[in-house]
Amino acid sequence: MPGLIQNEWMKIFRRPGTYVMIGLLLIMTTVAGAFIKYQESGGTVPDNTEWKRGLQTQNESYQKQLEEMGEMVPRDMKEQYQREIALNKYRIQHDISPNEEYSIWGFVSDTSQLIEFAGLFTIIIAGGIVASEFTWGTIKLLLIRPIKRVKILGAKYITVILFGLMLLAVLFGYSALLGGLLFGFPEKAIPYLYYYNGTVQEQSMGLHLIAYYGLKSINMLMLATMAFMISAVFRNSSLAIGLSLFLMFMGGQVTRLIAMKYDWAKYSLFANTDLLQYYEGVPMVQGMTLGFSIMNILIYFLLFQVLAFYVFNKRDVSA
Amino acid sequence: MIPALKTSAKNGQSITSWEEDEYMDTLVEIQDVTKVIKGRTIIDSVSFDVKKGEVFGFLGPNGAGKTTTIRMLVGLIGITSGDIKILGSSIKTDFEKAVSHIGAIVENPEMYKFLSGYQNLIHYARMSKGVTKEKIDETVELIGLTDRIHDKVRTYSLGMRQRLGLAQCLLHDPQILVLDEPTNGLDPAGIREIRDHLRMLARDRDMAVIVSSHLLSEMEMMCDRIGIIQNGKLIDVQHINDFVQGNEKVYEVEVDDPDKAQRMLKSIYPELPIQVTENSVFLPLVRDGIPEMIKEFVRTDVKIFAVREVTKTLEDRFLEVTEFKGGAGHARTDSK
Repeated sequence: MPGLIQNEWMKIFRRPGTYVMIGLLLIMTTVAGAFIKYQESGGTVPDNTEWKRGLQTQNESYQKQLEEMGEMVPRDMKEQYQREIALNKYRIQHDISPNEEYSIWGFVSDTSQLIEFAGLFTIIIAGGIVASEFTWGTIKLLLIRPIKRVKILGAKYITVILFGLMLLAVLFGYSALLGGLLFGFPEKAIPYLYYYNGTVQEQSMGLHLIAYYGLKSINMLMLATMAFMISAVFRNSSLAIGLSLFLMFMGGQVTRLIAMKYDWAKYSLFANTDLLQYYEGVPMVQGMTLGFSIMNILIYFLLFQVLAFYVFNKRDVSA
Repeated sequence: MIPALKTSAKNGQSITSWEEDEYMDTLVEIQDVTKVIKGRTIIDSVSFDVKKGEVFGFLGPNGAGKTTTIRMLVGLIGITSGDIKILGSSIKTDFEKAVSHIGAIVENPEMYKFLSGYQNLIHYARMSKGVTKEKIDETVELIGLTDRIHDKVRTYSLGMRQRLGLAQCLLHDPQILVLDEPTNGLDPAGIREIRDHLRMLARDRDMAVIVSSHLLSEMEMMCDRIGIIQNGKLIDVQHINDFVQGNEKVYEVEVDDPDKAQRMLKSIYPELPIQVTENSVFLPLVRDGIPEMIKEFVRTDVKIFAVREVTKTLEDRFLEVTEFKGGAGHARTDSK
């Protein structure tokens, strides 16, 4: 198995396109850094002596709005306000100022937007890894080795995941490096506050960001799995890449639209891939829980894998 | 070297007889293999065996099922019924073991063009057990690609790719070589090179080689035995010499008066198809019949200038066999 993964890795990294992808990711991070740096030097650090008062008034206004609107207030807005109020209260109680200076952590958190691009590149690799062997005609020589097809496909999938993780690591590492250089480290460690199940908890910033990247990449890994499945089933890389990218950009939106009207939207893959909604936002459909989403993700994952492996194993290679 | 094997293949029922100890020499057994795709029978109970040190040619018009059979042999296509055994291991149930004895090129050897020849070989070496760096170098040496092996495959000529393909299937020292149309698209020099390699491998390494082709002249020069397939049925398996000649040979007798000779022959062998040209007659005969025939000529006072054996080409024979045994009337049926 390690040899097979090594083979796949070699086939990815002996093609110039791969370096273009990594290069693009680095360039985009650099541009983001330069842009933020430029903006920051124009602004001033906010006056933060009166922040407790500020939070207090903010809370009062939230409370007032909630009371005024009563039953009329939309569910997600209500939960959003409750979350804000709880966080603000916690800050006041524990003396944690919200006005932190922009530092490495802020930058790493901002560049997590680029995970979408890491996802895009992973999908491109995933969509091509099986289909290309068919278009190149190399599948024939690949499958007449004394290795079961399941192992070959397994190695390919593991390689896709490793490639995705590598892109994430590159993004995270480079952002941290660049952020450290451009914005420096904060003077004292500020904990990250999150609100889950009605209570507020503290977490170290570095740990939070790693978890944040991890949760954000679930969407990308699931779409890569889907692209891989389409690639293995239909032997068509354009279809695999096109469809997966379309769903990556549109899936969430469409699901959100459906979710406004129909409850069954919660069974859609895209309602569940964003696990951050349970920590930082509001679940797309009422009644969804973290466990439910994880279950859903697992079911979709198994579905994709079973399809890919079943079809690939049975396929007659005759072209 | 190869013991005469009496094989009669009619409707796929193959009756093969040999002595006990020769069991060891049979490397590939194809047993009553059938392939049905979407209700259409592509391969209809084909059976044959291939032995050590022999080059077995698989001959048939386009679309007859050569490629399908070869792909079933290497596990690229599933088998609907029947089984294929490689050194006793079934390709169906014991794929890894069975295939580890086979090296194959299926149609053109498609390599990763963005890798160098050497990287391609490393790639395949990693997929078989126990292929060392030395083994790779040795194989490269054998096929004569040492100078260019570190160049990208993109820059190779077709002949070089074909040679790299050969290297790829020799890496793990297989006992069986399977080549589907190995000379497709090669120039005469390339064809000759491949042919020499194959001959050498079968002879020196005692490998069994299975080659498919629709080029008759090719097969004639390369193979020890050939199996003819048409419309998915194996219609004949014969030694190349037996095959070309059949059991009877045609003799040309140069005489002074062909018409007289013909009249005489007709009276003695009424059912023989006799052909007459300006100064000779052609008739099929077994070897032992020749003295008798000459006696008759002398008795009836026909002057004989020469008696010659007419060699049939593989092509004549192929067309003959596919027309008579296949029953389809035409050698060329549907194309791929």
